[in-house]
Amino acid sequence: MINKTRNRTTKRWILYILLLFCLASSLLFVNHNYSFYDRPIAQVVQTTLEDTTKTKDMHGNEDTLFTQHIVAILKNGEEKGQQIHLTNQYSTSGAYDQQYHIGNKLFVSIDSETGEKIAGSITDVKRDQYVLVVAWIFIFTLLIVGHKQGLLAIVSFVINVLLLSFALDIYVHYSRVSLLLICGLCILLFTAISLLLVSGFNEKTYAAIVATLIATVASLSITSLVIWLTSGSGLRYEEMQFLTRPYHTVFMAGLFIGSLGAIMDVAITMSSSIFALYERDHDISIKSLKTSGMDIGKDIMGTITSILFFAYISGSIPMLILYLKNASPLGFALSMNLSLELARALAGGIGIVLTIPIGLYTTVFFVKRKKARV
Amino acid sequence: MNVLVWLAAILLLLMAWVGGKQGARSFLSLFLNFGVIFLTVMFMMDPAVNPILITFIASILIGCVSLFFINEVNGKTTIAFISTMVTIVILLVFIVIVSQKLMIQGFGEEEEEAISGLSLYIGVDFMKIGASVIIMSTIGAIMDVAISIASSMHEIFKHNPLLSKKELFKSGVSIGRDILGTDTNTLFFAFFGGYLALLIWFKDLNYSIGEIVNSKIFSSEMILILCAGMGVALVIPIASWINAYFLVKTREK
Repeated sequence: MINKTRNRTTKRWILYILLLFCLASSLLFVNHNYSFYDRPIAQVVQTTLEDTTKTKDMHGNEDTLFTQHIVAILKNGEEKGQQIHLTNQYSTSGAYDQQYHIGNKLFVSIDSETGEKIAGSITDVKRDQYVLVVAWIFIFTLLIVGHKQGLLAIVSFVINVLLLSFALDIYVHYSRVSLLLICGLCILLFTAISLLLVSGFNEKTYAAIVATLIATVASLSITSLVIWLTSGSGLRYEEMQFLTRPYHTVFMAGLFIGSLGAIMDVAITMSSSIFALYERDHDISIKSLKTSGMDIGKDIMGTITSILFFAYISGSIPMLILYLKNASPLGFALSMNLSLELARALAGGIGIVLTIPIGLYTTVFFVKRKKARV
Repeated sequence: MNVLVWLAAILLLLMAWVGGKQGARSFLSLFLNFGVIFLTVMFMMDPAVNPILITFIASILIGCVSLFFINEVNGKTTIAFISTMVTIVILLVFIVIVSQKLMIQGFGEEEEEAISGLSLYIGVDFMKIGASVIIMSTIGAIMDVAISIASSMHEIFKHNPLLSKKELFKSGVSIGRDILGTDTNTLFFAFFGGYLALLIWFKDLNYSIGEIVNSKIFSSEMILILCAGMGVALVIPIASWINAYFLVKTREK
């Protein structure tokens, strides 16, 4: 017993030391990785405000434009160590521009070299070091609060990201393969991996996996049927950005991956609470299992639909504001910016609600089978 | 007829069938929350008002709708409400600092096509709006964890009224851990689904890892996912502590 605890503490210490090592080395790397980039990087050492103008656009929106002269030191390439002169224009709203401060690291392009003076323009901001810091804060928060479950959440996140990236590679390189087929396979793997990681190899996990898959297929059919019957009226695909592929398939695939997490959440909650009821009292009748299962389902239905709802709708706030400030009619701005998000949220909600009875009956079926075996 | 109307009607029917009166109420709360988001957008259009303040007020309204309207005002929901607000304030401070450093406000160059032709100098502060988007995306999950912890801890306290504050806190955290995995999953997949088009775009145009990580759009999505996960984790100890504190206090009275 003592040996076991000691073993566990040593293991934990090894984990901590390993983590700290990763933290230190990765932070060191992103702060000195200039030579890994082909694009020139410069660090701002001096800024001077050159000009301030007040503007008013044709819709009566007032803003202030600033012009900033920046001196920065190049960090990589042949001109490493030399000064570069840049100009930057930014506004108070900062929708597509920003003010730079001393210490900021920027990607620049070198436009001209006249003697000693190098002039250039800013192409982007170097953000990797901050993304990394936030990622580490995220990892530590989850580990400190969640211990083992936090670790598993991170592991399942990483595995799912890698899987999705790999699947998309296949899709991009072999365009004959249908995206929906790939996503179908992905959904199968995502479900199995995430649920097995969250609750281990046991019957309640199997019940949840089966329920998730049935519910996903059911909600896929309902949504496709509705879109087919109405021939997609009211969905403004124009708003979908970043399109290099047929938009309809990309939208449907995104919709199903998007609601998968919520469906899994409901399925595992249903199956683990029904199994817990059965474990507590092996003689519990199927009927009372069904009634309590339904009650649990009712309780979680509202909150989980609202998780999806907020996650989808909030993302369109900036674009909505931009449209409305540009004097777009309200109905047009709403349908342009919200129709796809609302469709996603509603379809996800349908999936969530369907999972409650499906999860209930699947779990009851597994319980019955277990009962028959005993 | 319109796809959205059909989907909404199907959702309403299903919710009423599965959840009865409570289901219909949940559906209505989605509508009310939509109204709150709409009002938030309207207020944010005024450059004179601070978007962070509006976000905070919107969170209070959303909390009232989702916690008090669906459940009713009682000890559990009040404590869940307080824990949600405390978490949101902490998260908000963190997000404002991070987005200032990262300069992820507004729109990225990948979105150029969508914003071309629109006037961009509209006077509202997009940095603060970006921070408020992150909060609003996560608030649903934070409330979910807060209410689950509050109701389970009340249940535990009812069965063992002699537990100390520390034991109560511990049991709250362990309940929270069980939900942590599934709730972060829900959010991760929701965001993956939304960004599928963006990911295919990166792959199609052969972006290098360096270009992806440093691009405004990817880093802002990444920060959104990470902050959402942090919010869900943070609310666990906060809600457990507040619950333990109030439960012990009611016993002493």
